[in-house]
Amino acid sequence: METIISIKNLTKEFPVGDGAFVALKNINLDFKKGEFAGLVGPSGSGKTTLLNIIGSLDVPTNGTAEIMGKDIAGLSHKEAAQLRNKYVGFIFQEFHLLPVYTVYENVEFALLLQDIPKDERHKAVMEALEWVGLTHKKDAKPSKLSGGESQRVAIARAIVKRPAILLADEPSANLDSANAHNIMQVMVKLNEELDTTFIFSTHDEKVMQYLKRIVHLRDGGLEKDEWIKEATV
Amino acid sequence: MIKFLIKGVIRDSTRSKFPIAIVAIGVFFTIFLSAFIGGVLQDAVEVNARFTTGHVKVSTLAFAENSTQAPLDLALLGMDSIKSGLQNEYPKMMWVPRVSFGGLLDVPDENGETKGQGPCTGMAADLLNTENGELERMNINKTIVEGRAPEKRGEALVSEKFAQKMKLKPGDVVTYFGSTMYGSMCFQNFTICGTISFGQQMLDKGGLIIDISDAQQMLDMEDGSTELLGYFEGGQYLDDEAMKIAQEFNARSTDSTDEFSSVMIPLKKQNQLEGLLNTSESMSEIMVGIFVLAMSIVLWNVGLLGGLRRYKEFGVRLALGEAKGKIYRSLLVEATVIGVVGSVFGVILGLAAAIPLQIYGMDVSEMVPSSNMMMPSVYRAAVTPSTVFMGFIPGIIAMVLGQALAGYGIYKRDTARLFKELEV
Repeated sequence: METIISIKNLTKEFPVGDGAFVALKNINLDFKKGEFAGLVGPSGSGKTTLLNIIGSLDVPTNGTAEIMGKDIAGLSHKEAAQLRNKYVGFIFQEFHLLPVYTVYENVEFALLLQDIPKDERHKAVMEALEWVGLTHKKDAKPSKLSGGESQRVAIARAIVKRPAILLADEPSANLDSANAHNIMQVMVKLNEELDTTFIFSTHDEKVMQYLKRIVHLRDGGLEKDEWIKEATV
Repeated sequence: MIKFLIKGVIRDSTRSKFPIAIVAIGVFFTIFLSAFIGGVLQDAVEVNARFTTGHVKVSTLAFAENSTQAPLDLALLGMDSIKSGLQNEYPKMMWVPRVSFGGLLDVPDENGETKGQGPCTGMAADLLNTENGELERMNINKTIVEGRAPEKRGEALVSEKFAQKMKLKPGDVVTYFGSTMYGSMCFQNFTICGTISFGQQMLDKGGLIIDISDAQQMLDMEDGSTELLGYFEGGQYLDDEAMKIAQEFNARSTDSTDEFSSVMIPLKKQNQLEGLLNTSESMSEIMVGIFVLAMSIVLWNVGLLGGLRRYKEFGVRLALGEAKGKIYRSLLVEATVIGVVGSVFGVILGLAAAIPLQIYGMDVSEMVPSSNMMMPSVYRAAVTPSTVFMGFIPGIIAMVLGQALAGYGIYKRDTARLFKELEV
């Protein structure tokens, strides 16, 4: 399988007063196309920082992070945005749907940034909504959706542009157990059908039981890289 | 994408209604106030030009230096030759003689004895010659309260206030007492042909208006006048042109050692009008400057508050792959749309207030102070294409500038830091 994320000797420091806080130290990781993996660890272990670097929202202090063959550190703001636009999808803990737009428009927005013609956009949006089972809610505003529905719209928005990598930061944190399982099943299905690489940041057992690979982080360091042959569900 | 953004602006009332209202109010005030102030100042200049200053005025050097006293002994003689010389040289200008004088007006009873008497300020113009436009220029036919304009020699118009005070009506005879330009006493009877109210305290207090031929005979100033006024074709004062003509004329006619040599003074240099004209010219810039500055500060704050509300949206857009420069530009596009809409509303409101004021005016005759400078008694706005333009464009500029300042922080921040601050 093709390696699409390659992290070598990665260290990330944040300036604090006169010194620096080391958020990640000496991380070495590879992710291949179609993986369903999770970054797991307690708060402050560096999960979100690593996810941001993989998503080209941040750059390492030392070491390299190559995403789709491109070294993140060498990219300009515009090039990093282009990389995210083309290859990376995000799913957030709090959904972050744009409240003034309908479900359809929220999903469509990701495609507007790629200047895709209207007909193609329509087809892709409807397909994405179909994957998450929300075509009947396409004209609803986010305020009219339940938490589970909102997260499914967020998944559709992330997946609609068919990214190579989908990053999900605590996607189940604001969902009840049934909805958490529901969205995880949707993501498993998408992973299988679209061959998209899913990387989660989580400490939720409900999410972990679906993962095929778990990367354990502690105090910014890589504690354990655990491969699970078959998902438990 | 622009359509998508506009949809968001329309749906999010806090993002659109408040800024649109602010821009509209600002544009409204800019248009209304600049039209109003500009109109009043223009009218003031025009009133002065029509009655006392002309666009340029020729008199003797000594008369010009003592013009507030209207000294008849310093009047311009050989006026016809000066006038024809000027007419040849500046054929597109109209040259009209005027005589300003002052004396007593005596009102007799049925026995010919004095019934009443009062001081009068007289003005003589070439009223019997219909080709020079003096009746229109002084707006005489429209300001006559009773009767008509003089049609033959020996007729006079008196101010309505004076007529009411002395219980005069058209057909009554009054006697003027004064002195000639050589200092001897003069008196002459005039038949009142009408009463007039210019709405100018200076003219209405004790005004007597007669034809210039009567004045020349009465004041013993044949071929003379106190002033020769020049008017540009179309009635519009052209400052540069007036200064140039005056300079040319004075270079060949004015002799500082001869107080009776003639001198030409442009409107701007008379009756303290220079300040008024300069204010009028810079009014647009002042109004626009104040508007853009004040509105930008307000809209900057509105933009900051809006930006805070939309932090999460910006974070999501960054994550979706929109470059922060593009986000910043989209904010400016939104600001332009809001600025255009607000400016359109502001222009409509401004015109709705200014146009009636231009047509009907606001009568302030009771409040206009007495001074050398003649102020219009009816204040009118002057709406011109530039009035609309100078409200509309700054409306957009203020909105875009306010948003540009508010969004600058987003543009300048490091993406990771911004993403973190955006609480995504």
